[in-house]
Amino acid sequence: MSAAPKLSPVSAEHPGAARSITIAVAGNPNSGKSTLINAIAGSRLHVGNWPGVTVEKKEAAFEHEGRRLRLVDLPGTYSLSPYSQEEIVARDYLAHERPDVIVNVVDATNLERNLYLTVQLLELGIPVVMALNVYDEAQAKGHRIDVRGIEARLGVRVVPTSATRKQGLEELLGAVVATADRSHVRTIAPLSYGPDLDGATAGVARALEERHPELTARLPARWLALKLVEGDARVLEETGLERDALVAAPLAHLVAAHGDDVEAIVAEARYGLAAGLTREVLERPSLQKTELTERIDRVVLNRFLGIPIFLAAMWLVFKLTFDLSAPFGDWIDAMTSGPFKRWAAVLLGAIGAPGWTVSLVNDGVIAGVGFVLVFVPVIFAMMFFITFLEGSGYMARAAFVMDKAMHAMGLHGKSFIPMVLGFGCNVPGVYATRTLESGRDRILTALLIPLMSCGARLPVYVLFVGVFFPQRPGTVIWSLYVIGIALAITMGVVFKKTLFRGEAPAFIMELPPYRMPSLRSLCLHTWEKGKHFLTKAGTYILAVSVIVWFMLNLPWGVEHKKDSYLGKAGQVMAPALAPLGFGTWEAASSLITGVIAKEIVVGTMSEIYAPKPAHEEQAPTFAEDLREIGTSFVGAGREALSNVVSTAGLSSISIDKADEAPSPLKDAVRGAFTPLTALGFMVFVLLYMPCVVVAIAMRQEFGGWKWFGVAFAYQTALAWGMALLVYQGGRLLGLGA
Amino acid sequence: MPRSSSTAADGSPAPRPGMPLGLLGDGESAEIVAVATAARGGCESRAEEMGLRIGKRVVMLSNGAGPVLVKVDESRIAVDRGVAMKIKVTK
Repeated sequence: MSAAPKLSPVSAEHPGAARSITIAVAGNPNSGKSTLINAIAGSRLHVGNWPGVTVEKKEAAFEHEGRRLRLVDLPGTYSLSPYSQEEIVARDYLAHERPDVIVNVVDATNLERNLYLTVQLLELGIPVVMALNVYDEAQAKGHRIDVRGIEARLGVRVVPTSATRKQGLEELLGAVVATADRSHVRTIAPLSYGPDLDGATAGVARALEERHPELTARLPARWLALKLVEGDARVLEETGLERDALVAAPLAHLVAAHGDDVEAIVAEARYGLAAGLTREVLERPSLQKTELTERIDRVVLNRFLGIPIFLAAMWLVFKLTFDLSAPFGDWIDAMTSGPFKRWAAVLLGAIGAPGWTVSLVNDGVIAGVGFVLVFVPVIFAMMFFITFLEGSGYMARAAFVMDKAMHAMGLHGKSFIPMVLGFGCNVPGVYATRTLESGRDRILTALLIPLMSCGARLPVYVLFVGVFFPQRPGTVIWSLYVIGIALAITMGVVFKKTLFRGEAPAFIMELPPYRMPSLRSLCLHTWEKGKHFLTKAGTYILAVSVIVWFMLNLPWGVEHKKDSYLGKAGQVMAPALAPLGFGTWEAASSLITGVIAKEIVVGTMSEIYAPKPAHEEQAPTFAEDLREIGTSFVGAGREALSNVVSTAGLSSISIDKADEAPSPLKDAVRGAFTPLTALGFMVFVLLYMPCVVVAIAMRQEFGGWKWFGVAFAYQTALAWGMALLVYQGGRLLGLGA
Repeated sequence: MPRSSSTAADGSPAPRPGMPLGLLGDGESAEIVAVATAARGGCESRAEEMGLRIGKRVVMLSNGAGPVLVKVDESRIAVDRGVAMKIKVTK
């Protein structure tokens, strides 16, 4: 090939072994790429975001045989054409950052489609090492892959791996180091896309080198040329090149022979290479038995059973989440409200701190953060089960099953996954919208996500339901979730007819084979998801708790909470809430702080309503405290276990038994609300504006405050209207005034 | 000739034989003979990237009320009915 010598952009600057190696890991979605990276890097993985977009970026740096390796995980993509954010991120990184080596993770059970990306990666002229992943499964299926044949044809090192069994990882790293050091030099010519296309590309490359040497110094000429031939919009935009001026002459012959849809011709050529190579190196048994995945799908995707199975799965997730986590939540609650406060008081007393600091630490910090920490078990449990559904492959089926229903909202099945995540916490839900292809879908989905009742709203429900509806807590909380879903559907229809006219874009997604996710990867991903919540509780909510405490206790020496700054703000807001039945300054103040994060509503209430501590009963000793913490943790574990066991018997969830013990907060709430106003209040909390963290997420995701403004406006209006409906409607029906 | 291309040499659309993919029954197998190329950069070309290309044999796994599920090579691809009707197959 004529352009061959220009294909080695990295060469001279490889003096020796001391250099660190930057490795980009690229591959199809579902190729087992993240499992492979987890297996290699494990706890050294650092998760962040790609700059400018909120596509997750995983990185790890570590030593391997005395060499410093830096792994960068690219988003999973099927190609490098600029159709989705993921593809653009992956491509921009490869083209501009020029890593030393690309590790191309290829699903060995699905060679042809994976090789399509490989061909595009090779175009970049960066050394490639192929990890032939899921190799054990391919063998088990009877596929025989000629590994040396791939190496010979593509001129890259190929290492069979099994990420789940941790096989081939050492060899892979060895091949990476060897490739980076050029001890394995790619000797063969670039892949041929057929004489016409090769000729045209070479011609464009020559023209580029003559006319734009500054560009070809930065980017490989052949790759640029191919992109120009394809008419790649993003490359044209980035380089400011005039396509016609450069390609018209070299392309004349090609267009005459094959027609002018050059993009399709190039895609065909790539695909031809991938298909041809697959035919050469892959032998598979002619008779294929029905796979387990297909047998499961036949039931799970059945047109009558699909939706019932899906609903049952979701119900089970919720039930297991609450059954498992509630006892631990109670345990944390007992710990923070008892021993921690006592210890803090003792400590502060010992160092001679003034009395008000004890109140700040106990009523502000420990009460505020403690109220939030109580939800750590719930959030983690829910994230765990959602991760399981994702990892096992079922989540993609849920999208398939729900596709038709989602069309009613002007969305398709894929939007369903971010929405389900929204039940855990709206923030990851908003971030998950990036998996959707069109901007319209992303925004519409994100606008509806806040209607999914997140974990943070649960404390409010639990408090009020415990006081006012102790006979059927499950039903009331469930109906709040259902109200949220019903309103999401309604608003989806409204948006579809107003702001988002036009067809929902087509739905197309791969359903990965069912796999049993390993406990390790489950825990790792659960931790990654739950971590956000913990850091939020640790930093942000801590700060807010302190601010709220000050707002409640300033001006200095304020006698009644009502005259504090927060109380005054509440008094201003209260009349607007009067028609809803809870127009008190206490309720209004709590709701104001809930804007920052909804779980704070309960925290604020406890500070407003909690009367001055009436102790001192006999304070237990430190040792007694510790022992009590230990035994109650064991008790919580036992309770969680028995809850799960009783799940089989379909008995009701833990909230039933949730503290019968009277608390000052509950007494105060009982006095301040009626069952009807409590219901209205819960509906209001469910619907009113998304919290600030969601606001930040939406801003990051869609740039500017416009869409958050829309969410804010419609939700607050909706909350007010629905709470009004509940209260006034209830009064008309003669239900408690 | 099963391997027809969606565009002929002179650039005009080639005749498109075959039935829409979306009309295959469960368990039926067929070969793709045309993929509508109207919306480049949209979902049709995504379908191609995922392996639904001319000359490929597909098996209909589920053709129910919503999207269809087809098997091509070793992957299961869920396709919107709209796209499925634009992909033509022959048995």
